[in-house]
Amino acid sequence: MRQSSRAQAAAYGFLTLTLIFCLLPFLWVMFASIDPNATLFLSLPKAVTADHFVKIFTANNGGRWFFNSLVTVGATTGLVVVVGGMGGYALSRSSAWWKRPLLYAIILIRVLPPTALIVPLYKVMLIANGVMGALVRGVVPADSTRAAMRIFGFVDGYLGLILVLSAMQLPLALWIIKTYFDLTPRDYEEAALMDGANGFQRMRRILVPMALPGLGAAGLLTFIGAWGDFLMPLTFISSAELQSLPIGLFRAFTRANTVDYGYLSALAVLYMLPAVAAFGFARRFLVRTFTGGIKG
Amino acid sequence: MASISIDNVRKSFGAAEVIKGVSFEVADGQFAVLVGPSGCGKSTLLRMIAGLESVTDGDIKLDGRRINDVPPDQRGIAMVFQSYALYPHMTVAENIGFSLELKRVGKAKIRAQVRQVADMLQLSELLDRRPSALSGGQRQRVAIGRAIIKQPRVILFDEPLSNLDASLRVQMRAELQRLHQELKPTIIYVTHDQVEAMTMADTIVVLNQGNVAQWAHPIELYRRPTSTFVATFIGSPRMNLIRGIIAGQEAVPSFAAAEGWTVPLAGSTAARGQPVWLGIRPEDIRLVDAGAAADLSCKVAIVERLGAETYLSVVNGADTLLVRVQGDVALRPGDTVQLALERAGFHLFDQTERRF
Repeated sequence: MRQSSRAQAAAYGFLTLTLIFCLLPFLWVMFASIDPNATLFLSLPKAVTADHFVKIFTANNGGRWFFNSLVTVGATTGLVVVVGGMGGYALSRSSAWWKRPLLYAIILIRVLPPTALIVPLYKVMLIANGVMGALVRGVVPADSTRAAMRIFGFVDGYLGLILVLSAMQLPLALWIIKTYFDLTPRDYEEAALMDGANGFQRMRRILVPMALPGLGAAGLLTFIGAWGDFLMPLTFISSAELQSLPIGLFRAFTRANTVDYGYLSALAVLYMLPAVAAFGFARRFLVRTFTGGIKG
Repeated sequence: MASISIDNVRKSFGAAEVIKGVSFEVADGQFAVLVGPSGCGKSTLLRMIAGLESVTDGDIKLDGRRINDVPPDQRGIAMVFQSYALYPHMTVAENIGFSLELKRVGKAKIRAQVRQVADMLQLSELLDRRPSALSGGQRQRVAIGRAIIKQPRVILFDEPLSNLDASLRVQMRAELQRLHQELKPTIIYVTHDQVEAMTMADTIVVLNQGNVAQWAHPIELYRRPTSTFVATFIGSPRMNLIRGIIAGQEAVPSFAAAEGWTVPLAGSTAARGQPVWLGIRPEDIRLVDAGAAADLSCKVAIVERLGAETYLSVVNGADTLLVRVQGDVALRPGDTVQLALERAGFHLFDQTERRF
């Protein structure tokens, strides 16, 4: 009895230590972001300041970075959910012989480290960028070509980054959504067909509401994955005004001579917030609340 | 309401033909049941009538009009799925009213019609619930409500009671019959359960391996099955089949069982010496006292005492016969019993298992 309670105490002690160890980075970032004298060492702030946060938006272009991140990652999430939703549905319902090989090929894309492919990918994007440049110059007046390319360019433009991020996140989303549709019997669609719903109505009124948990899970993972991606914005974005949060964070850390730990931490906190918010938003879709339409 | 005619309909999936030239008709307001073992093609046929499967060959006609290529929602046919397929994210009222909503019927009108259907099906209290909060029988009724609100010319049922427990099934069977009497729709109902078929149908189509084995009124099917397949499929417990040959004189033919006993036949058209199957239903075999005139004697193998009646499984050589006796009979396995066969209950089938 005594032996086991001692063992239990040891176990709890060990777990507590592990917990503290895991929490330390978060605590350090939290404390440092509001500490006017933040250092490399963890300490309770003696005073509280919002200066670091203010500095992000005043001394640097933090608002712009934040906006860029939200636009590219938001568009990526939207694109992946729409394309993954339709593709996942098709993959689930298809009985073609090439379905299984295709599914494994798709997941293989996800398995390969993107770093290994970054050079050929850059080359491909550069060619696409040239084509797009010619197109844009043909349509848009010369003085606004540069602005248009910031949106539609494949290199150093929103569109290119969005497509690359989407391509990276799409395989997993396809798999999640495909698996989800596998669990959704065809009977629902056929019932809707008998009720007189056309293709669009079946998708909008039956399939999407029923697949919401799957779409939500895929969307959340896409958002978090794309939000945390560093290599793609680093490679494909060079203009300062298109720079996103992870790059801003990286540059702040590697800036010459001194490191401003308070500023760095504030930026880190800002960088973490949307991911947490996305989780909070998607959480309610993740639980499959709808059961009982089928069988007894 | 409407009549349906199925004319030499075929269906192939790739090289496999699952419906091999099926023909039958369902008159206006009739309750028709398609029955058969699993894999006989009955659900496929129903889905073809609904428009969910294409027709490979032949015609499906609704009131004389060919509907092979009419989209499902324009056929005026409603379907109740085996799984019910109630939309889980909609309330009962939304489920029932969905087809009207798609037709852009006004909200107030939908509400009124949904209420009317719900009253008929005793669902009025449940209109705001979601399917997940309903019992099996309630879900079944919502599925029926979703079908009848369309005022369809024909309602198709695909094994609608197979997910319910036994007592609920009996209750829903009665409700379906009541509904049919009230609304008089033409109904085509698929089941593998011959009891459901017998109790509800005006006409039964027995399907076997993609062919119509027999198409008739339930009692006609029971009294005059045209093949050993129908004979053993319809009726519970199933009909006994005994192997033997036609023996005796030309004027007084008799059946000589392979196990050695003989019984006279009245007016058989089969030739002497011809191998046949003698079919006899369990209720057409009587127990007789020792000493009285008996046709054969058997050894009891299994006794099932149900109270009101008793099922005996008796053995005579290689044959095992099922006997259904009224009332309770306290026999034990191993006992010997004397059996008399009711001549009126004889069904003779030839070697190809067709009726003479």
